[in-house]
Order: sequence, then C-alpha cells, then structure tokens
Amino acid sequence: MARLLELDEVFKRFGGIVATNGLTFHVEQGESLALIGPNGAGKTTIFSLVMGEIRQNSGTIRLAGEEISQLATHKRIQRGIARTYQVPRPFADMDVAGNIRVGMMPDSLRAMLFQGPDPAAELEIARSVGFREADLSRTPSTLSMGDLRKLELARTLATRPKIMLLDEVFAGLTVGEIAQISELLAQKRKEGMTFVIVSHDLRALEPLVDRAVAMTFGKQIAEGTFQQVMGDAQVRAAYLGQ
Amino acid sequence: MGALVTKRQLALWLLFAVVMLALPQFVSNGTLRIIIFANFLAIFAMSWDFLSGKTGYISFGHPFLIGIGAYATAILSYRFGVPIAASIPLAVLATMIGGTLFFLPALRIKGTYFALVTLAFMELMYQLVQVIRPDLTGGTRGMSGIKTLLSGAQPNFYFSFLLMFSIAFSLWLLSRTRLGTALDAISMNEEAVSGSGLNTTKLKLFAFMVSAATAGIGGAFYVHYLGSIAPRALFDINFVFTIIVSALIGGASTIIGPMFGAFFMTFLLEYLRPVLPGSERYLVYGLIALVLYVYQPKGIHRIIEDLRKGMGGRGKGAADGKAA
Amino acid sequence: MIQILIQGFLLSGLYALIAVGFTLIFSVGRVLNLAYGAYLMLGGYAYFYTVQQLGVPKLPGFVIAVATGALAGLAMYQFLVKRLKGDHVAVEISTLILAVVIQAAIVLLFNESSKILLPIVDGVWRVGSASVTNNILTAMVASWFILGGLMLFVKRTHLGRAIQAVSMDAKGAMISGINTDRINLTTWAISGALGATAGVFFASYTQLNPSMWVSPLIIAVAVVIVGGIGSIVGSLIVAHIIGFMEIITSSLIAAELRGVFTMLLIIGVLVLRPQGLFGRGDL
Repeated sequence: MARLLELDEVFKRFGGIVATNGLTFHVEQGESLALIGPNGAGKTTIFSLVMGEIRQNSGTIRLAGEEISQLATHKRIQRGIARTYQVPRPFADMDVAGNIRVGMMPDSLRAMLFQGPDPAAELEIARSVGFREADLSRTPSTLSMGDLRKLELARTLATRPKIMLLDEVFAGLTVGEIAQISELLAQKRKEGMTFVIVSHDLRALEPLVDRAVAMTFGKQIAEGTFQQVMGDAQVRAAYLGQ
Repeated sequence: MGALVTKRQLALWLLFAVVMLALPQFVSNGTLRIIIFANFLAIFAMSWDFLSGKTGYISFGHPFLIGIGAYATAILSYRFGVPIAASIPLAVLATMIGGTLFFLPALRIKGTYFALVTLAFMELMYQLVQVIRPDLTGGTRGMSGIKTLLSGAQPNFYFSFLLMFSIAFSLWLLSRTRLGTALDAISMNEEAVSGSGLNTTKLKLFAFMVSAATAGIGGAFYVHYLGSIAPRALFDINFVFTIIVSALIGGASTIIGPMFGAFFMTFLLEYLRPVLPGSERYLVYGLIALVLYVYQPKGIHRIIEDLRKGMGGRGKGAADGKAA
Repeated sequence: MIQILIQGFLLSGLYALIAVGFTLIFSVGRVLNLAYGAYLMLGGYAYFYTVQQLGVPKLPGFVIAVATGALAGLAMYQFLVKRLKGDHVAVEISTLILAVVIQAAIVLLFNESSKILLPIVDGVWRVGSASVTNNILTAMVASWFILGGLMLFVKRTHLGRAIQAVSMDAKGAMISGINTDRINLTTWAISGALGATAGVFFASYTQLNPSMWVSPLIIAVAVVIVGGIGSIVGSLIVAHIIGFMEIITSSLIAAELRGVFTMLLIIGVLVLRPQGLFGRGDL
C-alpha cells in the first residue's frame, strides 16, 4: 500500500511550549488511523499543521509523496485534505444547501461568476450524510449537534477529499447520533476514504480504525493496532493515569 | 450567467426603474435634487456593502476611496484641462490602486483592527490633502468651478438614477452568483472558506476592487455634479456615519438594502428639516438609526423578511430571530 | 529646544490622561468604545455650562463635569453595550453612531460655534526663556496623579483586583464569584469619569466645539493600539511618543502635519505588529 499522508520530524512550538516534538508517522492509502492522547497532547495542533492553518518550525509533511508543508491551506484542500473541528462552525446565515455549495465551489473566479450551483450534486452530498431533501433549506441555528456534525462532514466531503481529519467527531452527541455518525464513517471507509480520527470516545473509535498512534506532550509514545496501543503501559500511564 | 435570478425579481427591478424614471412628471425639482443626492449616497453605501457587508471587513474609512476618485478627476480636469471622458476613467483606475493599498492590511488583520486602519487611512488622507501640493488640491478650501456634466435638476436626476441603477443591478447580479455566496461566507467563517479549498485572498481582493471601482465612479461623478470639492466635508466621520448607517439600516450584504437605506435616510433627513431646522436633525436621525440597529443589526431588509416569514409560520421566524 | 521638551512632556501628559479611560474599557471588555471622545466633549461642555454660564465655582463645576462623564458611561453600558454583548463590531458601530448623536445633541444645546474654555488654573510659569501656562501644567500633574492612582487602585483594592481579573479572563472571574456585570458597569463609569476629566483639560487647552471628540478618540485609539492591550506603562510610553512626535513635527516641519505621524503609527503597528509594541496580543 502507498503512503498517503506522511509527517516527518514535525516540530512546532508556541512561545515556550512545544506542541509537537519531532513527530513522525504516516497514514496508508485507504487506512483509518486513530490519534489518541490526553488533552493538550498536540492532536489538534497536528491537524492544524497538516491543514496549513499554522506552520511547523521544522520538519516536512507529504501528501501522496509530494511535500505540502509550505502550501497555503486552500492549495492543500485542493490536493485532497479535509478537516472537521471540535466545535462545528458552519456558515451561520446560510442554509444546509448553501454550506455544501461553498464546499463544492471551484477555486476560480470565472467559474464562480459564470457557472451556477449544481443543486442535484448538493442534494446528493446532503443525502450521503443522512440529510433529507427537506433539510436543505434549514439554517444551522435550527440544527441539533448531530446534524451540525453531519453538515460539517457534508461540507468537507463536498471538497472531494482523499483524506479526512476528524477532530472529536463524537463530542456532544447523543448515543443515537454517535451510532448514526459511526455508520456513516464506516460506509465512507468501505468506499475507500482515508481517515485520521481524534476522539475521546474510545468505544466509538475502536471499530472505525485500523491502527492507532498515541501521543503525549507532543511526542509519539506508542503505535500499532488499537488493542496494542491501548495495552501499552506508557499509554495507560499517560492517558488513564494508571 | 451564473446568477440565481427569478423572473419575478427582474420584473421588480424593471418596475423600480419605470417608476423612478416617471417620477419627474409628478414631483418638484426640489424633490428631484434630494433624490439625486440619495442616488449618490446609494452608490457609496453599495460600495461599502460590497466590501464590508459581504466580507465582514468593516471599513470606517470609505471616504478615502471616494476621495481618491473625486480628487483625481477634479485635479485632472480642473488643473490640467483633461476632458471628463478621460479624467473619470483615470480617476476610477486611481481609486482601484488606492483600493489595493486599502487591501494590504486585510491580509493580516480583521475585525476592529481593520476598521481602525481604514479610519486612520481617511484621517491621513484628510491631513495630507491639505498640505501636500495645495496648488493642485486647493488645500483646506478645496476647489470650485469644476466642470459639471449636466445642468438642471431633471437631466441630473435621470443621469444619476441610471448610473445608480446600473451599479445596483450589476452588484446585485454579482451577489447572486456563487462568488457572492463565497464572499458572504468569508464574513461568517473565513477559515472554513479556505478550508473549502478557496483562495480567500483572491476573493477579498476581488471584493475590494469592485468596491473601490464603485466608490471611484460614485466619487468622480459626484464631483462633476457638485462642481466643487472640499476636504472637510469629504473626509468627515459624519460622512462615514451616513454611509454606514444607510447600509446597515437597509440590511448589510444585500445590496438592495443599502440602496433603499440611502433613500430612507436621505428622505428622513429631508422630512425632518421643517420640524428641526439646522443640523439638530442629525440627533433624531442618529437616534432612529441607533434604535433600529440595536433592535435588528441586520437591518430593515431582515425585519421585512421576518415579518413575511412570521405570516407564513410564526415558530420559524421566532427561531431565526433568536439566532440573529 | 527646551521649549520642545517642555511642550512635549505637557502634551504627552494630556494624551496619557485622554487615553487612560479608553485603555481601561479596552482591557476589561476588549471592546473599542468609539463614543469615548464624547465623554471628553460632555465633560468639557458640562464644565463650560456650570462654571461659565451658571457661575458655579470651579471645583463643584469640575465635579459636575466628572459626574456627567460617569453617568454617560453608566448609561452607555446599561442601555447599549450590554445588549450587544459579544458582538464587538456591533458595539463599535453603535458607539460610533452614538457619538454622532451626542455631537448633534451638543449642537442642539450649545449651537455649532466654538467656545473658549477659560483656564481652570490661571497664571503662567516661566523656566528660562520658555513659559507654560499653569493650566496645562496642572493637566500634566493631574494626569500623573490619576495614572498613579489608577495603578494603585487596580493593584491594591478589592474592586481593582476584580476589574483586573475580569480583564484577564472574564469567564474565570465569573466562576470565581465575581459579578462581571457589575464590574463592567463600574469600569464604564470610571472610564466615563476619566474621559470627562481629560475633556475639561483638553477643552481648556484647545477649545470647545461639537466635533472636538474625533481627535482625542484617534489619540486614544493610537495609544491603546500601539501600546498594547492592558499595559498602563505601555500606554504611558506611547502617549509620550505621540506627544513628542506631534510637537516635533509641528514646530520643525509643518503645523498641519502634526497628526500624520499618529496615523502612520496606527497603520504601521496594526499591520506589522497587531498585538502592539508592549502588550500581550489578543485579537
């Protein structure tokens, strides 16, 4: 299998705090990787680095063998990276269809000016995350947390990603909503999507991943199957305080 | 064309144009002069709206852009005898260059800080215009006797309306495209727009350029309507206030809102004249603006929409109101 | 040379006084009160009305002026800012509108012409060839006392520490049992009182007119932006940079250019170093 995303000796500090300390790991094409660790371990920082929202102090990030660590965020998205956030922040004054529409837009002023939206494709993406046609005209303020997560997945799926970085995708959801989102992710996995998932809900996380990387204080402490990593003494000490 | 436009909307635009163009048959020249002013204010308010209303980069210094357009054509035609047909396009070009200057801070800062930089731009321009080359700018007193395009209330009314109407219609069409949607999205969550693979710098630059061109056109034609220009009245925080209030009262980011906001505010000011002579009417004017703004920051446009929704189904309107 | 030095210190002292109330609001609520200049105007006009039109003695007149500012601050917070909570841009736009409304009210009450405010303290003080009015000297001394007092107040008193806590972390302060709403209200009142105090001195240094609120507002903005949030010492330094630059430009280059440096400073610092030269950054 080919490596889709690779981080090589990635180092990032904020003032005196080292957020990622020479981190090296990779994700295979079609693989689903769990990124686990206590609060403040640097998981969200990794996502921001991969997205280009912040820049590493040193090290390289590669997508499908091509270095992307100096590219602007939108260029990385165009190459197939997508991310969701712990707290979903949709375009608040736009309905569900509008949010998806922004995700689908090509990065070309000409196309944005002279080609209209594609409502059929918007509906298809909305349906693929479990919305119904009637939901298209709903505004985010009327959506539940579960629906907001779905909306964010829909907006990121609209960019046609190769790899999705999901940050605390189960946070704030009811049991029913967790099942719904899990099913959705399992379906996407079957279709060949590559994932990196951060979650504190280990029970929901386990069936969705092939492999796990555990980290604390910006350093990788274990890697392997989910069971191996969770059984690791260092991980238990860092994560569960045992 | 990629704009989402219905036949009904086009019919309304047509109706608006027909009614306005028929107006000189029914109203006095005095009223026409008020509408001429409203037309120009509408252009300025829409220029502000396309930048600030859409992208959320609030400009407190819009007269900086308007002033570049106005001064450029005034100096070219008055001091160098350049024909208006050439001086106005050059002025618009100059305004767009000024717009680029305006745009640079927007690469790094947003929100309050951006607003303050634009305010500083305006104040800087105000002070520099008076001191640097007063032989060209006319210094503190400005210039008068600048060539006017047309004379008489009716020709000026027709002209200013057609100018305003074509700008309004074009900006409205622009805002109905996917590009307009993307600009709106920037004001809501700029990170998510880049996160959708869109180059926000390019989008913002486009908005700044359209806004600057509009401000330049408005400023240049306004000078050739008035025939004079003075720094005090132009680079004035009260002028900023009038522009922003028109846009906000009408409804930011809607283009149509600021246009009607400009008409509303101009007529409000005019109808207050018999009741409150002198500049005291700014008090009532400002208070009305303040109350409206605090009651519904999204303007009359939204109030009307809410009312319309309220008739359809109360529950939904109430939920929306809460979110806003 | 000595004239420039003296005038520089005096003007800078006045500017520090103008900026301090504005800084206070910015550090506590993170909002820019664009109606801050209106406090100065209200203070100046209140003093003018009571002392020069009603003939009230100077000290009670001064107290009334300060109280007017404090009341204006209270009202602004209670009726405007509180309602727009969280939306900083809305606060800025609405306080800008409010400033214009207050300007119109002043025109309505006192008409548009400029008024001369007699010196609060009479007399002239001579140092060698240079001379300064006791009035502006008092302004500078008052400014130093007020700044010192404010620092003591913030560091030593219970209320002051509560204000400081809110400025650092409003949520944390709330959880620790501080009534943030009352702290905000108090801060706005203090800011109004400080603004009005500065206004009386500022008006006696220049003159009273209905658009006098703009230039002190810009100075206050510059001091806060350039000095950095919540840094009283930073504000003091920047007030001196701006004060001295103004005196130097107006006496050595051209009087009309005195404000240009301030504008360039605002633009330059905001674009290159948005967190200010001395303060902690917070966008």
